[in-house]
Amino acid sequence: MTKTYSLVRSLVVGGMLALVVASCDSDPSGPEPPGETFDRSEMLARYGQDLILPAYAALQQSVAALQASASAFTAEPTVAGLEALRAQLKAARLAWQDANLFQFGPAESVTLRAALNTYPADVDRIEANVASGTYTLGTLDNRAAVGFPALDYLLHGLAATDEEVVAAYRDAPDAANRRAYLQDNVDFILNATEATAGEWAADGGNYIGTFLSPENAGTDVGSSLGMLINAFVLHYERFIRDGKIGIPAGVRSAGVPRPTATEAYYAGYSAELALANVRAVRRLFLGNDRADAAGTGLDDNLRALGAGDLADWIEAEMDEAIAALAALNDPLSVQIETDNDAVLAAFTALQDVIVLLKADMTSILGITITFQDNDGD
Amino acid sequence: MRKLLTAQTSIAPLVVFRALFGFIMAVSVLRFVLNGWIYELYVRPTYFFTYYGFDWVVPPGEAGLYVLFGLMGLAALGIMLGWHYRIASVLFFLTFTYVELIDKTNYLNHYYFVSIISFLLIWVPANRAFSLDVRRHPGLRADTVPAWTVNIFKFQLGLVYVFAGLAKLNPDWLLDAMPLRLWLPAHAHLPLVGGLLAEPLTAYLFSWAGAVYDLTIVFFLLWRRTRLPAYLAVLAFHLTTALLFQIGMFPYIMILSTLIFFPASFHEALLDRLRVLWSRIARRPAAVPRAAVSALPVPFRFSRRASAALAVLLTLHVVVQVLVPLRSVLYPGHLFWTEEGYRFSWRVMLMEKAGYATFRVRDPATGRQWEVANWEYLTPNQEKMMATQPDMILQFAHFLEDTYRQQGLEDVEITVEAYVTLNGRRSRLMIDPSVDLTAVERGLRHKTWVLPFAEEQDRWISRR
Repeated sequence: MTKTYSLVRSLVVGGMLALVVASCDSDPSGPEPPGETFDRSEMLARYGQDLILPAYAALQQSVAALQASASAFTAEPTVAGLEALRAQLKAARLAWQDANLFQFGPAESVTLRAALNTYPADVDRIEANVASGTYTLGTLDNRAAVGFPALDYLLHGLAATDEEVVAAYRDAPDAANRRAYLQDNVDFILNATEATAGEWAADGGNYIGTFLSPENAGTDVGSSLGMLINAFVLHYERFIRDGKIGIPAGVRSAGVPRPTATEAYYAGYSAELALANVRAVRRLFLGNDRADAAGTGLDDNLRALGAGDLADWIEAEMDEAIAALAALNDPLSVQIETDNDAVLAAFTALQDVIVLLKADMTSILGITITFQDNDGD
Repeated sequence: MRKLLTAQTSIAPLVVFRALFGFIMAVSVLRFVLNGWIYELYVRPTYFFTYYGFDWVVPPGEAGLYVLFGLMGLAALGIMLGWHYRIASVLFFLTFTYVELIDKTNYLNHYYFVSIISFLLIWVPANRAFSLDVRRHPGLRADTVPAWTVNIFKFQLGLVYVFAGLAKLNPDWLLDAMPLRLWLPAHAHLPLVGGLLAEPLTAYLFSWAGAVYDLTIVFFLLWRRTRLPAYLAVLAFHLTTALLFQIGMFPYIMILSTLIFFPASFHEALLDRLRVLWSRIARRPAAVPRAAVSALPVPFRFSRRASAALAVLLTLHVVVQVLVPLRSVLYPGHLFWTEEGYRFSWRVMLMEKAGYATFRVRDPATGRQWEVANWEYLTPNQEKMMATQPDMILQFAHFLEDTYRQQGLEDVEITVEAYVTLNGRRSRLMIDPSVDLTAVERGLRHKTWVLPFAEEQDRWISRR
């Protein structure tokens, strides 16, 4: 939508408004001064500047550190190096939980989520790639052989003891290939992250400028808020509730649990990642930054529209979901096998939030999900 | 009565109406194709929500769809130019209506309106002047036609407005300014008027003005002395809605269609100007106005048999058009909640309805339970539309039953937990979650498994 168009739009609507107001000028109260109008641009600025850019910056930083650790480890595989690398992997995966909510714009064109975090990892494919030594990591075929889940397997899943894992990178016949694959995969993660962060950056692709431009400050499907909400609600529904909890718990496989489908199956901190992700959703809703400092968020938007109860309720339901996730023990795969009911309870708690986000919140905010014509059925 | 139906009247309004309708339809078809909606709406989905009784209407494949839309576009041009008019109007009605019947997800009142208008165009001699048909066969030319051929369109337009206005006379619209109170603040970012649109009072003004407009506009258009200001109101109203809401071509269709209320002299002058313009472009002398050749205008008359048949057909049409929007009174319960008798009733812009439907499956053979990932079968738009419409929820449950049967699960039970928010009310269960939908038959009978609407349900946004 161009500026001219929105000006024309304003003039026509204004004219209509003037007509209506003029014809009703006997109304004793008259139109009220637009006093406390909520400024959606301010909220978008909060999201763009204080949540999204820092989330990508933190991800980029931790992935860069991951790459440094990986280089050190592949140069000289040691147990200490492996431990350092594993710690960096976990840090990066946690940073990812803050950044994965924004799968629109640059992240969508880079297909960042699929590149970084398609799981469960395809172990056969990874081993075939290692054995052959020839592969292109960005292809669709290799989706489940790259990213964090592949590192999960490569660093945690090769053998029972640390020494044996190190040996796989040092002494095994295919050690050189395996080192190369590890390094290539980390480079691949860094490239995808940098591509996304670079597109967002004001001194790069300046998507932040697009995100904050007045033309995109509406609520239709192509607007910044529309994309943000559609993206994070979809992520919450399919990649948190389903991907992290529901699918491993068997909700989508005719009731048969699939513990190996957990996010960090080999490292065993899947529940922790899920918890971090839902906390990030809560912060996003409240407009809180990574340090959890308060700011203008969707809750304030709802409040300004007179739906403060809804904001409170969503927050309360999110807290319940967080509590249900916090009650789960890692490794999540073991929890699923021993006490799946707690996992299913967490699934239900996560579900309760979705109804409010997808039906009530989008309805109050006037967010649309499609470009198609609509006559407001 | 005779004056309104059988008396001869100038053909000009009918001809202009035909040309403008064909034009705007050609534009609509082109826009639809260029927006990529053929793929989006009819190729990408794997499942389609058919209308009851029209399960045989299926998309004819991607290539077939492009052929269908090609024919539709050609037919629209045929109507516009009066070129093989009878074939074109039949073809347009059939292709357009067929496409609309593929998936009720895409139901729009204005698509239904287009179907009706194109159906009516089949029966009237709108190609008997200012058309390529007359150019090829000058004998076809007529100057006057029976009045009903023009008035039927005025009637149809009036019906749309009045029913749309009557539908607005409900508490949500009048007392709570819903759903405009939710929709207008979405434009709060616009320069100049944004702040006003965020004001609840504006929503009330728009709601009441809209209701008054819909209820009265047709009468002001009919009356000579108010016609011009009324048409200015038509322009203001429809342009405003076009700019504020995502309603596509509808405003433009109405803006052009309502010109039919203007007198014959207006349309004759318009046609004369077009003739002059064309003669300049074609560098040919303008066709001599008929009146200059013969003092007596050539009338068009239907044969006695055709008249009788048309009388029956049009009487039926009028009765159906009046009764169908009223059928909702036959159903108990809250219309907006159950949507029994909601479609085909000119109820537009009345509801902000959103929901979330979770389908639960239980296999009695194993006792296993699971949930359905709706998006594996539906597009986001289908999922959204289904979540709030009971008949679509039932259809989807039956589709799931068939899908599982093909996977070897003979007799699963399917229940749904469907939360729905209507016009800003707190979401609540719409369907009885204990009912096994695989045991429920499709049909037009009252759906007892839809939970009653809770009148007292609080709104998130309180009345001011």
